[in-house]
Amino acid sequence: MGLLSIIRKIKKKEKEMRILMVGLDNSGKTTIVLKVNGEDTSVISPTLGFNIKTIKYQKYSLNVWDVGGQKTIRPYWRNYFEQTDGLVWVVDSSDVRRLDDCRSELENLLKEERLSGASLLVFANKQDIQGALKPADIVKVLNLDAMDKTRHWQIVGCSAYTGEGLLEGFDWLVQDIASRIYMLD
Amino acid sequence: MEGEEGSESKQHHLSAGTLDPVFAQKKKHAVMLDRLATLQQSRLQQSAARSAAAVAASPAFESVSAFLDRFAESRRSIEADVQGCRAMATDPASAARLKPELEKMAASIADLDRLVAENSYFLPSYEVRSSLRAIAALKEALEAANSELLPRKKFSFRNKAPKKDPTFLVKEVEEAKVSAAPEKPDLAVVRETPGFREKEGSILIKHFRVSEEGEGDFTLADLNSCEIYLRGRLRALFIHRLTDCRVFAGAVLGSILIEEVSDCLLMLASHQIRIHHARATDFYLRVRSRPIIEDSHAVRFAPYRLLYEGIEEELRDSGLEEETGNWANVDDFGWLRAVQSPNWSVIPEEQRVQTMNVSDNAK
Repeated sequence: MGLLSIIRKIKKKEKEMRILMVGLDNSGKTTIVLKVNGEDTSVISPTLGFNIKTIKYQKYSLNVWDVGGQKTIRPYWRNYFEQTDGLVWVVDSSDVRRLDDCRSELENLLKEERLSGASLLVFANKQDIQGALKPADIVKVLNLDAMDKTRHWQIVGCSAYTGEGLLEGFDWLVQDIASRIYMLD
Repeated sequence: MEGEEGSESKQHHLSAGTLDPVFAQKKKHAVMLDRLATLQQSRLQQSAARSAAAVAASPAFESVSAFLDRFAESRRSIEADVQGCRAMATDPASAARLKPELEKMAASIADLDRLVAENSYFLPSYEVRSSLRAIAALKEALEAANSELLPRKKFSFRNKAPKKDPTFLVKEVEEAKVSAAPEKPDLAVVRETPGFREKEGSILIKHFRVSEEGEGDFTLADLNSCEIYLRGRLRALFIHRLTDCRVFAGAVLGSILIEEVSDCLLMLASHQIRIHHARATDFYLRVRSRPIIEDSHAVRFAPYRLLYEGIEEELRDSGLEEETGNWANVDDFGWLRAVQSPNWSVIPEEQRVQTMNVSDNAK
């Protein structure tokens, strides 16, 4: 029995997935997590550090690491890379000016070897705001089509404010991780 | 160990069988003497070779005065070199040559050291001692020059460069090419968001009507010495590069992102407020969560004091009717300590602006 199959077996028992939420500040990471978890989203301070939530999702338990996106604390993202099964990159689709920043931060992130196996979900958040860029535009601006062919990725438009699109996104992420790790039945 | 040897020798005796033990011992003795003789021979050869080499390398003066002359001369030249290096260090152009120069001096001091050692056999002990002392002084001088002129790098932890195999490197290069080709990927798709941009010395007024209520975002960018009134409800507000401006805005349902403002007064109400790179700016805030500052300095905070017809209702509709007191709970990302950040303060009561009634301005 190889090491990989042992790991798979252990993971199968726990059915755990480790999800890392990152993105620029003000993109709505914490709001997404709280909304998915059915919590109050009306008072959320900018994240100073990180939050961890364990969310039961279907038969899986998701350990969601929501890490603050302010520039000062972005260098600390790397501390959370280990053993990440799923990466969620959140984009503020209404913040056109910083899309360049957004692209270069994502590019840096995807170079990281420890994240090379993780499925990538891009949330084009704030779709409820009039004039926000559509997911198809975000794909172009972030140059997602040029990504490494081995990466499993998906973009989903969503609104953390209304909750629209969130479950669709997490559905894809969980199914994709499950099919890699648990060899879905 | 001994036990083993004992058993071995026993075996030897057994195998030797008929041989006389005394004869065996004599034979051993002879072999050993033979070996010692060869050793001695080779040692003599070696020392002869060495002395021959020494003679070839440096002519043995075997004269105390000749040695002293030579020693003094080398010493003077090294001392002059040290002075020269100090002069070099003051000139930035030659600073790069400094390191090899200092290394060369270290080598010549070592040579001098060897010279004394080689000649010590005929030198009076006083000369040996004084020469060694002189060498020690030279070494010290060099050391001092070294630490003065070439400051050591401070010790620090550094991430080791990740080992990359060549295939990976090639891949990176390819990636770099790919990303370099479409310089700025399709910023054509980027629409111009509604907003006030690149204005100077103007009064800018925008009234968000009920029809577009709470739907859109708005941008204030590159404004200089302007007065801005935003009335009505907004979804999000972006503020970028404002100098010497006064901004009075109604309810923002989502968040406000502020970057690079200086010498401004901003009166804002929102769920979230993030402030980056602000200098000498006063903020009058109504905010549901804790406002944050990053890379900012000399920013001050006070409660929101804006009034116009219908603002109460708009604030209520946006969930901002309550004064949470959070305007004073500022988190400074550049100051993660328990004590008050030096980058921000509360505006003293007597310095705050009066309640701003902008009903007439912002129609």
